[in-house]
Amino acid sequence: MDYTFQYGQVWPYVPYLLKGAWLSLQIAFLAFCGGMLIGTACAAVKTFGSGWMRHGVNAYVVFFVNTPQLVQIYFLYFALPDMGIFLSSYMAVLLGMTLNAGAYLTEIQRAGFESRRQSEMEAAEVLGFSRWQQIRYVILPHVAKVLFPPLSNHYILMTLGTSMAAIFGVEELTGRAFNINSETFRSLEVFSIVAVIYVVVTLAASVLLALFGRFAFRAKMRVV
Amino acid sequence: MAHLELDNISAAYGKLRVLDGIDISVGSGETVGLIGPSGSGKSTILRVLTGLLKPEAGQVRVGGEPINFDKPAEIRRLRDRAAIVFQQYNLFQNLTVLENVMIAPTKVRGRKPRDVRPEAEHLLAKVGLADKINSYPDQLSGGQQQRVAIARGLCLKPEILLLDEVTAALDPELVSEVLDTIRGLAEDGMTMLIVSHEMGFIREISARVAFMADGKVVELGSPAQIFDAPEKERTRDFVGKILRH
Repeated sequence: MDYTFQYGQVWPYVPYLLKGAWLSLQIAFLAFCGGMLIGTACAAVKTFGSGWMRHGVNAYVVFFVNTPQLVQIYFLYFALPDMGIFLSSYMAVLLGMTLNAGAYLTEIQRAGFESRRQSEMEAAEVLGFSRWQQIRYVILPHVAKVLFPPLSNHYILMTLGTSMAAIFGVEELTGRAFNINSETFRSLEVFSIVAVIYVVVTLAASVLLALFGRFAFRAKMRVV
Repeated sequence: MAHLELDNISAAYGKLRVLDGIDISVGSGETVGLIGPSGSGKSTILRVLTGLLKPEAGQVRVGGEPINFDKPAEIRRLRDRAAIVFQQYNLFQNLTVLENVMIAPTKVRGRKPRDVRPEAEHLLAKVGLADKINSYPDQLSGGQQQRVAIARGLCLKPEILLLDEVTAALDPELVSEVLDTIRGLAEDGMTMLIVSHEMGFIREISARVAFMADGKVVELGSPAQIFDAPEKERTRDFVGKILRH
């Protein structure tokens, strides 16, 4: 291979890339939080709701799980303006990722709700727990423990998924890498540094989440 | 006066009738054993007595007072007086042993943790688990978990203890530790209704034994009568089969 690495040209851009990584984390975090709100509500409807409400949630989940996220964001950014709704690229990405996460997190949380142990519920009932006490002391701790690992995994996937925002001009980590690449044409150097930043960011998040899961919920998660 | 009375109790799961006119009484401090083939309704009696299944007919009386199963307050009163220990322990997996024992007295009865803790520790010591109070259920053997479940039931200071095949899910070598605990409770004068397939144990510990089949009490009498000289053909058939093994 006749290629001379010139990291020196790209190195000054690292702080600029790190600011992009921070934006990636923000997008992932906000979309995840929004998705959790949607997912919790929809999972509750799927588990405890009436027939027509469940059908509505099912339609939402089927649509967002079975279409590419990129297409969903394209729709929000390019198709909605035809209907008079204009979103910034940042908002389109954030909304698209939130709606997509909501669908996946609905399914994850529904599985958690349904995993509650009937035996523990009966024990709580005969011990005299009120409905609220059953939720507070039996259902929530169990569901949190069961759900924490898959939710953590989804959060990591969403962090990586923010790279899609670059296509819409959002200057997150990948978006800034595009900018540097078009200025320096040092693709190998730029994207290898970006890859390392992604690995460090997601690995750090994985370790922190695993440690938190072990501490808070006794969740059986591998730290590395 | 009987401490616990079931008077002509019938109950069903949907359309399936599982209890059909059950009459059993348990005197204060008495231990009554319930035996019979699977599906005969033994465990269902305990579900009725803990308010998990509403009887279709008949009356349950505790200390002479009838329980109205349509009133949640009366079911709560029944649960205050009678505690159950389940076959599968049903411990709260997210709580430590001590927390499992303390949670109902503190959160349901509203007692102060500092008052309950010594009692819980004493009960756990009594069932031989003083060194496991900070363990979680999944760190214990089946026998240990079952003894935690017994301590959890006792911490509510029930008048009556209902035991539902508490050794059925245990390895044979763990059975004796649980039976020893129950034996101690009987000696302390606890009123108990015990469902079990441990025939030797039922014979030893029970003042009276009820043999059940097809949702009915076929025969009720002393252990000697039920195991050595049963009057009914169905009882003779069952006892004959189990004693052969």
